[in-house]
Amino acid sequence: MIEAKGLTKVYGSKTAVDGVSFTVRAGQVTGFLGPNGAGKSTTMRMIMGLDRPTSGTVTVNGLPYAAHKAPLHEVGALLDAKAVHTSRSAYNHLRAMAATHNIPTARVHEVIEMTGLDAVAKKKAGGFSLGMGQRLGIAAALLGDPQTLILDEPVNGLDPEGVLWVRNLVRYLSNQGKTVFLSSHLMSEMAQTADHLIVIGRGRIIADATMQEVIAGTRQVRTLVRTSAATQLSGLLAGNGVTVDQNEPETLEVTGMDSRQIAQVALDNSVLVYELTPQLSSLEDAYFDLTKDEVEYHSHLTGGPAGAFAPAGAPAAAGK
Amino acid sequence: MTTMTETQTSPLPPRARSTAGTRGVTFVGVLRSEWIKLWSLMSTRILLLLTLVAIVGVGALAVLIRYSFLEQMVNTAKEQGQTMTPEMLEQSFPPGSGFELYNLPNAGLQIGILVLGSLAVLFISSEYATGMIRSTMNAVPRRTPAFVAKAIILAVISYVITTVAAAATFLIAMPVFQGLGFDLDWSTDGVMYSIFTGGLYVAGVALIGLSLGTLLRNSAGGITVLVGMFFVLSIAASFMTFIPGDFWKYVPQYIPSEAGGRFLSIGHTDGIIDPWHGGLIFLGYVLLFLIPAMIVLKKRDV
Repeated sequence: MIEAKGLTKVYGSKTAVDGVSFTVRAGQVTGFLGPNGAGKSTTMRMIMGLDRPTSGTVTVNGLPYAAHKAPLHEVGALLDAKAVHTSRSAYNHLRAMAATHNIPTARVHEVIEMTGLDAVAKKKAGGFSLGMGQRLGIAAALLGDPQTLILDEPVNGLDPEGVLWVRNLVRYLSNQGKTVFLSSHLMSEMAQTADHLIVIGRGRIIADATMQEVIAGTRQVRTLVRTSAATQLSGLLAGNGVTVDQNEPETLEVTGMDSRQIAQVALDNSVLVYELTPQLSSLEDAYFDLTKDEVEYHSHLTGGPAGAFAPAGAPAAAGK
Repeated sequence: MTTMTETQTSPLPPRARSTAGTRGVTFVGVLRSEWIKLWSLMSTRILLLLTLVAIVGVGALAVLIRYSFLEQMVNTAKEQGQTMTPEMLEQSFPPGSGFELYNLPNAGLQIGILVLGSLAVLFISSEYATGMIRSTMNAVPRRTPAFVAKAIILAVISYVITTVAAAATFLIAMPVFQGLGFDLDWSTDGVMYSIFTGGLYVAGVALIGLSLGTLLRNSAGGITVLVGMFFVLSIAASFMTFIPGDFWKYVPQYIPSEAGGRFLSIGHTDGIIDPWHGGLIFLGYVLLFLIPAMIVLKKRDV
């Protein structure tokens, strides 16, 4: 179990984590979701005692990480895959880490086998691909066979095979009754692996609930309407708490009114509607709803005119 | 052997009870970890071997230069129809000049200071450069034991290498100078003393190097400051003595390299600090860097 109370980290004038309190319950997979720069990594680094909180406390199984007699047996962490000396072999890296806790060499071989690193274990870690580095980081996290695992963006930069491998690993660990605290900015990944979600934005917790609650609780019902008289129907529906967006010809997205009410309006006004689909909320929608005010770096490209994007061949042609 | 494709579908093979052990962090374990770290880098192994060779090599070269210098004096004397006795030769390097014969074992010491000091900087600064430091702090979150383990290993290795090299240098020097008629062997006053203190001095330099690497977290910066302290400063100090006024004549002997160097010699000389004073001053310098480094390492985010 991980417990954070009023956890705050200030870097100069920037507050990275702002009075965060949460509990990661034992025996389940908790997702830690948020946009880039929201404070996920900083929070995880404070849990592992790498960063000192400006204020607040965080404990793992009742004690600060550093206060444990055998920290690697309590928590295993993959914080960044490149926390390895580039000239040392994966095997020696793990052996050096294992030595601190008197973990037998047999266990080193075991985690190498578990993470499929056998073939490259004696090679310099500096030459590893991102996926191999990630596997090595996970091997180090598993070294002490801890009850709790903290994985920061474990699928970041992995190829599809690597992503699948991490997903299976997290499932396996959760089936073993381990506590897994997993951060990601990839919602699809969370939807597949987490039982519980903590959503963070600009250093603050904006949701702390089960996956179902997060998906169900946030978004108003949204309905996709295809009609031959889009402009007319749009005028009839809009207002009084109902918003209508039109992104394509003959297609409306209606929020604030259910499909039956929309059909009734269309019927009353003799407008032809040829599709009426309630949109199921996904984690993605819920996430965007929750974080829309919290995103640190907004993209300005989405609203731009289509002509702003030059064809791919244009720069090359201009260079001639 | 498990292949990538197999692990994809079944990430972890089924296993019985944990094989990870339960003893937790012990200082001996941390010491062993740092030992593995040092020796598992090919570059370190080569560097340490070359250091040993280089200290002896430079020492032998210095012995050769001094030998040819003395031989020339003997020959010049012969041409003038005089005979130089070893006693007369000895007067060409008076006590306190740093050229006493008992100091021969440490003829190549400067190389040891440079290489072992730099290695000590790198031992921790390379962990900052590669990110390894985060793995180190993960395994030893109290941090201080990891630093102390690094310090002990560096001090011991520096001491052993320097002492072995000093003994080897003396083995080369002894017959050469005996050939010139000098009464020089292992029992000559100061020989054993300088062999054993040379290692202590270089171990101290290594501890300063480790501290600089920790404080600056940067290899180039740490090595530059170290070289500045032990090479540039001593040159600057020798110019300092040209400044008018007695004060400046007494300053240079207190800089780290001079105080440390004085520790390796024997006997009292008027006007300069005694060897054990030099040793204490040098120890003070070591602590001056070591203690802040330990405090900063404990407090700073990694």
